[in-house]
Amino acid sequence: MRDPEIDETLDKAARVRREVPAELLQHIADTIEPTLQPVRALPPTWVLASGSVLITGTVALLGAARVGFQGVEALSLPARLLIFGVLTLLACVAAVRLVGEWIPGSPRRLTPGGLLAMASVTLLAVFALLFHDYRIEHFVSAGLTCLATGLLNAVPAALLGWWWLRRGWAVNSVSAGLAAGVLGGLAGVTVLELHCTDFHALHILVWHTLVVPASGAVGAFAGWALRER
Amino acid sequence: MDMDGNLEELMAGYQAGDFAAARCLIHRLSPQLHRFFDAQSRNPADADDLLQEAWLRIHRARHTYQRGKSVLPWIYAIARRVRVDHYRRQVRTTTHEQRWEQVDDEISTSPPDAPPAEDLEALLAPLSESQREVLQMLKVAGMSLEEVARATSCSVGSVKQKVHRAYEKLRHSMSVPELKRSGEVP
Repeated sequence: MRDPEIDETLDKAARVRREVPAELLQHIADTIEPTLQPVRALPPTWVLASGSVLITGTVALLGAARVGFQGVEALSLPARLLIFGVLTLLACVAAVRLVGEWIPGSPRRLTPGGLLAMASVTLLAVFALLFHDYRIEHFVSAGLTCLATGLLNAVPAALLGWWWLRRGWAVNSVSAGLAAGVLGGLAGVTVLELHCTDFHALHILVWHTLVVPASGAVGAFAGWALRER
Repeated sequence: MDMDGNLEELMAGYQAGDFAAARCLIHRLSPQLHRFFDAQSRNPADADDLLQEAWLRIHRARHTYQRGKSVLPWIYAIARRVRVDHYRRQVRTTTHEQRWEQVDDEISTSPPDAPPAEDLEALLAPLSESQREVLQMLKVAGMSLEEVARATSCSVGSVKQKVHRAYEKLRHSMSVPELKRSGEVP
């Protein structure tokens, strides 16, 4: 049997109309009627995504203001432009994905898992390009401090992003949590790049980048917990 | 409200609180949604409950529909979620092993004879759930590949691959009974 014949058979079978009992349709209509109020539609995707990026940037700046801007002051101008340019770009991509997770039927050119991988790999590439001092000093103790600082800023950014989109309807709360976590993680990395003066390559490659997957994992877990409650 | 009005206009009316538009949508879309659940749930009695649940969720999420965009991917993304949640609840009440044994049995004991040509659900029975879902959206709802991709949260390439694999299976399942009838296969 060839594809056009299969097509024809399926089309013919699909055209056979199956009626739903009229009582069932009436029951559905009666159920929704009492709560049928006019609703305000969600703003366009670009408005929601811009708001998410703004929240992320604000949380990052407030976080850095609390701990200090020593890191960015010690960076060269090209390094500043590259690091913060890439972080802004990644935040825009993550915000669009996050909004997509909150609106049913949104196009999905990148999965939240793909977003996490893309953000992590891009940051690794940028850091590997800029930092070449591979000496190891206080690797674990300094690293854990940076990871904690990053996550402490990532969590409020993710929560505020979630709050900003609260009128949305997450089709898959695990994916939505992962996307929110990645966006929050980018806020955490931004705080570290603004604050941290430890320019050892391994420190930045491991501990700064780790904030993004760690925050993403926390977000996915939160989404899973919400779904299972 | 005109029953023949396009879905986007009806959806805008629904968001504006127009009961006639809401009722038109329910009457227009329920047959295909019911069929979607019927084919996927494997239990015809569940389809009625799933249809009601889907409309309740559509009602709660109606503000998330963005005007001017296609309605069907939005509706089917919600319907699909209802089905997945239902399946998850079922899995909780039975064990994974029991469920999969049942699924295996259902597939392996599917009749070797040709399904009635007018019964889409029987024709799609040999396919996996995701393949059935995609063909249902394409054939019954008349959605485009892009719309199916949006409703199922995957890429157009992935949808095309599922359709390709589904057609391979269908070619086999439809051809064997045909050959049996013609006497080429004992």
